[in-house]
Amino acid sequence: MDPKVKLELERLRADDPLGRSEDPFADFREVLLLGLEHRFRYRHSLGKSSRFFLALEEGVLLATRCERCGRVWLPPRPVCPNDLQVTRWTELSGKGTLESWTLCPRAPHYARTGEPYLLAYVALEGVSTLFLHQLRGVGPDALQHGMELHAVFGNEPVDHPLERFWFEPLEL
Amino acid sequence: MDDVVVLGCGLSPFRSSRFDGSIRDWVAEAVLAALADSGLEHQQIDQSLMAYESDHLAGQIGQGVIWHDTLGLTPRPTARIEGCGATGGLALRSAFAYLRAGLSRCLLVVGAERVGKSVSTATAGEIFAMSSDTDWELPVGGHFTAYYALLMREHMRRYGTTEEQLALVSVKNHGNARYHPLAQKPKELTVDEVLASPLIASPYKLLDCSLLSDGAAAVILANRSWAQANVPRFSERPVVALTGSGCATDYARAGDRPRDALAHFTAKRLAGEAAYAMAGISEPLEEIDVAEVYDSYTGAELMAYEALGFCPPGTSGPLSEEGVFSLQGELPVNPSGGLLGFGAAAGATGVAQAVEITAQLRGEADPRRQVAGAKRGLSDCHAGTCTVAAVHIFERKDI
Repeated sequence: MDPKVKLELERLRADDPLGRSEDPFADFREVLLLGLEHRFRYRHSLGKSSRFFLALEEGVLLATRCERCGRVWLPPRPVCPNDLQVTRWTELSGKGTLESWTLCPRAPHYARTGEPYLLAYVALEGVSTLFLHQLRGVGPDALQHGMELHAVFGNEPVDHPLERFWFEPLEL
Repeated sequence: MDDVVVLGCGLSPFRSSRFDGSIRDWVAEAVLAALADSGLEHQQIDQSLMAYESDHLAGQIGQGVIWHDTLGLTPRPTARIEGCGATGGLALRSAFAYLRAGLSRCLLVVGAERVGKSVSTATAGEIFAMSSDTDWELPVGGHFTAYYALLMREHMRRYGTTEEQLALVSVKNHGNARYHPLAQKPKELTVDEVLASPLIASPYKLLDCSLLSDGAAAVILANRSWAQANVPRFSERPVVALTGSGCATDYARAGDRPRDALAHFTAKRLAGEAAYAMAGISEPLEEIDVAEVYDSYTGAELMAYEALGFCPPGTSGPLSEEGVFSLQGELPVNPSGGLLGFGAAAGATGVAQAVEITAQLRGEADPRRQVAGAKRGLSDCHAGTCTVAAVHIFERKDI
């Protein structure tokens, strides 16, 4: 190690990964490893979807309805992909049914959730698409396809506005 | 029309860590091997296409031009091709278009990715998760194993597909990798070992998931008339042609797709149908001899069998149990070991599939994984949860 090179991690000697008797790269088997780090911070706009996130403050779920084809999109789409018409916001009941789910014992480090956690596709009342979010207040053994769920809003401070709510079984 | 033929193939070893070289070194290894295989001089190549998914994984923007320069191909034209997991397949399709359009007569496709231990598994997972929707899927703790699990659970509910049937795909592909000297994870596994591996996102355990690999792959393609005039001993070697190319897309978030399509890869079905139409295939199971499909997860391979018309929807699990897709089966799938056993290096994967299919059709694969008398093969890769699908058909043209 050369203490004068701050990024240096390690010096190694590599073997030919193909194990050839005559290594064509024999002159190139000394290896120096550096520790590199990049940090980026974004001023990220939620753009035309912002109203969905703002309405969560009031405990309301919004979606976008296309007046031409009647399809209701959530996540919202300011422009309906069916016919490229500009959509309108519509308020949802927050109720839905369980379409599919998965149990994750470990959370990725970017996820601010307890462990284990459940992720689900929820068929929300009045919505044409399936919405991905966490299921809480229930264990995996009690889950059934089609069971009734509702959006539950928390009061704890969160990092990302999507974490203001999650889904729980309607009757428990 | 002039056939588009494969003149040379090369691979770097796929490994969990290639600290002995940088990504441009692996690219050079793969291309030197492809040139040696083709008998061409590098100056005979008139265009390159560079396939890689992520600038983040490499910590380098503009890699394609760097590789092109490393290979001594300046001042010829180059382009970067990117489509997440479908990157390599899209590069093959672009190569086909360049050659057919007369923009190139002899073209080099390179796929490579640094996915191994240069970043932690957690960081690699985060970077790949950034290819899902960062406003809507990431903030709720979404990750790719979970997205695939949500689709597979619907397949299991609808068709009764079992975790044991998923595990059999892992056993098959890790087993096949034992016969590929450049494979990352050759292993003789049992169904019980797969079932007992750590749960990641139910029903998927660790051994249901593809690998994270450092790797590179290269394929040299040309118009047949050019090859006949310019390649020494062209007529003495088996001729493999690219005879079908299909590509299709689906909503990026699987939840936005039609609800009854949740357990199916619609884009793969459409891409397959397009490739089959071009190659004149009507009965895929009978007419295709060997296939490399995108086994990002064991269940994704089962869903691929159905999407590609190897079997009717919902029947992939039981057919898998019967061994239809094993090396000795009616249609061997992933003889290389696939992404589960050979390795998964995003941009390199679709190109590596073409390398394996070419080896199979030439009859040059290790005899233990060679599909006897294979005349027609398929390669298939996709992005996301089959957001972009690319399917290609290769055929022996000299017999």
